[in-house]
Amino acid sequence: MIRSGKATREQLRRHNRQLILRAIYTGLADSRAALAQETGLAKPTVSDVISELIAEGLIVEGGHGPVTDAGGKPPRLLEFVPDSRQVIGVSIKTDHVRGVLANLNGQVSAEHYAELGSAQGQDVIALLQQVINGLVAQLDAQLLCIGVGVSGNVNKEAGVVQHAPHFGWHNVPLARILSERYARPVYVASSTELAAMEQFMFGVPDTVQNLVTVLVNNRVGIGIVFEGGSYHNGSDIGCMQIIPWNPDPSIPQSAAGLEYLLGWSYIEQRAAVLRQRFPATRLPARELNYLHIRHAAANGDPAALLLQQELAGHLGYVFAWVVTLLRPDHVSLAGRIANLGEPLLTLAVARARELLHENAMEQVTFSLAESFNLVAVGAVAYTLQKELGLV
Amino acid sequence: MRNRRGSLGIITNNRHGVFQAEVLQGISEEARQAGYEIAVDSLAEDDRTPARAIALDPAAVAGLLVIANAASDDYLRRVHASGIPISLVSHQVPGTPVPAVLSNNSQGIGELVKHLVIRCKRHELVYIGGVAGQTDAVQRETAFQRELMRYNLHVPPERLLDGQFDPEIAASAVKKLVRSGAPFDAVLAADYLMAVSAIEELRASGIRVPQDVSVVGFGDAPKAEQAGLTTVAADITELGRRAARQLIGQIEGLEIGGVTVLSVELRVRASCGCHSGFHPQP
Repeated sequence: MIRSGKATREQLRRHNRQLILRAIYTGLADSRAALAQETGLAKPTVSDVISELIAEGLIVEGGHGPVTDAGGKPPRLLEFVPDSRQVIGVSIKTDHVRGVLANLNGQVSAEHYAELGSAQGQDVIALLQQVINGLVAQLDAQLLCIGVGVSGNVNKEAGVVQHAPHFGWHNVPLARILSERYARPVYVASSTELAAMEQFMFGVPDTVQNLVTVLVNNRVGIGIVFEGGSYHNGSDIGCMQIIPWNPDPSIPQSAAGLEYLLGWSYIEQRAAVLRQRFPATRLPARELNYLHIRHAAANGDPAALLLQQELAGHLGYVFAWVVTLLRPDHVSLAGRIANLGEPLLTLAVARARELLHENAMEQVTFSLAESFNLVAVGAVAYTLQKELGLV
Repeated sequence: MRNRRGSLGIITNNRHGVFQAEVLQGISEEARQAGYEIAVDSLAEDDRTPARAIALDPAAVAGLLVIANAASDDYLRRVHASGIPISLVSHQVPGTPVPAVLSNNSQGIGELVKHLVIRCKRHELVYIGGVAGQTDAVQRETAFQRELMRYNLHVPPERLLDGQFDPEIAASAVKKLVRSGAPFDAVLAADYLMAVSAIEELRASGIRVPQDVSVVGFGDAPKAEQAGLTTVAADITELGRRAARQLIGQIEGLEIGGVTVLSVELRVRASCGCHSGFHPQP
């Protein structure tokens, strides 16, 4: 809400600054005259903002450009300085915290992670700060701001984590706590939204305008990007109940939540059942991971193939809902489940196709996002957008 | 004014080792810049001499850096519990929050295997491992095994060589493998020195690199570049610099837990065979 003339001037100044910075950053304009033309702002306004940005080190004056048709002195060219500031992006997952230190182009120079163990409540915040401290110690330039992705429900405008049951967090004002500690702006958003942002910025071709990222870890989230840059908050659909798809009679036929059916503890339980049925299976009884399942399935292991088919069946529901409801150009599958690779994706897409009519899937492409740093890098992109109007 | 902030204590098993010397250089540069002295306790002066006991008193320095596996995990736990700032370089103590700085071993091995399999079309891989139990060696071998599952490759035990981060040991393991007649078309070594020595040994045995066998290794240095080795560049001096920063951060009041990981970068040169458009026959 605009409350006073001062706030209006401040907002206008910030808006002009973002317009100009974005035009230089994206290469749309590289001189004061070109910026005035590109942004529609008056030349004195452009000059004032440029002086401010130069004083802050965010841009520098380079060489001279060609003389324009109007004649006069050749214009001084302006260049964005990506290393003038750094940002920290952090992802809080259920079992660990992972952060990245990046410059203003999103290039990562260091990562830091810490295991959460069984930490709850305040202890999670303490560990989060230890990770941020680990990156603060590595700063090569002034810290601009911090972005945090949380697996849970987030009010991003207020910077409050409304509900993150895994940590026992209810209405935690995370942005305020961290900005008081570090004296920098802090932005908090849901992991799912940030994963979609990372995918949109760095993971899919420029032609994709409407993107959905399905993030499957211990929760099942949907992050949405509409029309090339409008980001939805991200939805948690893990509690939706489905009747498990049944390629195998040993699967219980009662309805269960998606996050249960796609979660790791379910996979371990099913692997134990299938191990009894197929004693010669390659699935190890101890320290099973996604790559064991992928490898065993690739070698025709019947237990692994069944498990892969089941998971693909459950994911197929998610893909079918997403495609029917949202009509995206592209769907990316992210989270640890993506380690199951292309075979899982192909089966899940085939299952979704069975559930819908043929044409519904024709225009949609699918991919896997296998990066470890998806959410943390998404948090970097988000802070750059919020703080400087970039990306 | 010198030494106004005290000293960074450094414990290393051999200050002349290629890896340790580079780490020490990075630490010294960063310490000097931040106004700290360094006090090095090198437990041996070469790789062959058994390490003597640690002489450095942790209480006498502002903080402690321990390079690789120079001190026992018990010792590291004790120092950390006593509240003295401590950072580990290329080492981790399982189950404790002792902060550390590591190269991204898993990313690096992932890039090398992906490159060998996808770009160079190699599938019969040989792995030359480092010192058993040392963090970098363990993480690199674990990552290698994981990548084998990802690409559905099988590497029988005779193609998993023990190189102990020692070029001579690596060369003799490669010689033995060649003599055994076991088929292979690529070698991935856990460090660049072993990879360079593998190239020399293969060529001495009449095997062409990269036409017959692609060779890649972890880490980069002038020696790797001279040998035309495809590597992932892990800047060791930078690792030392970052470790010093982590320790200084703690000394100056930052509470840090967990591990700082430095990204590595794939550098494609001639030794893998896909450089400048050359594609070896399968």
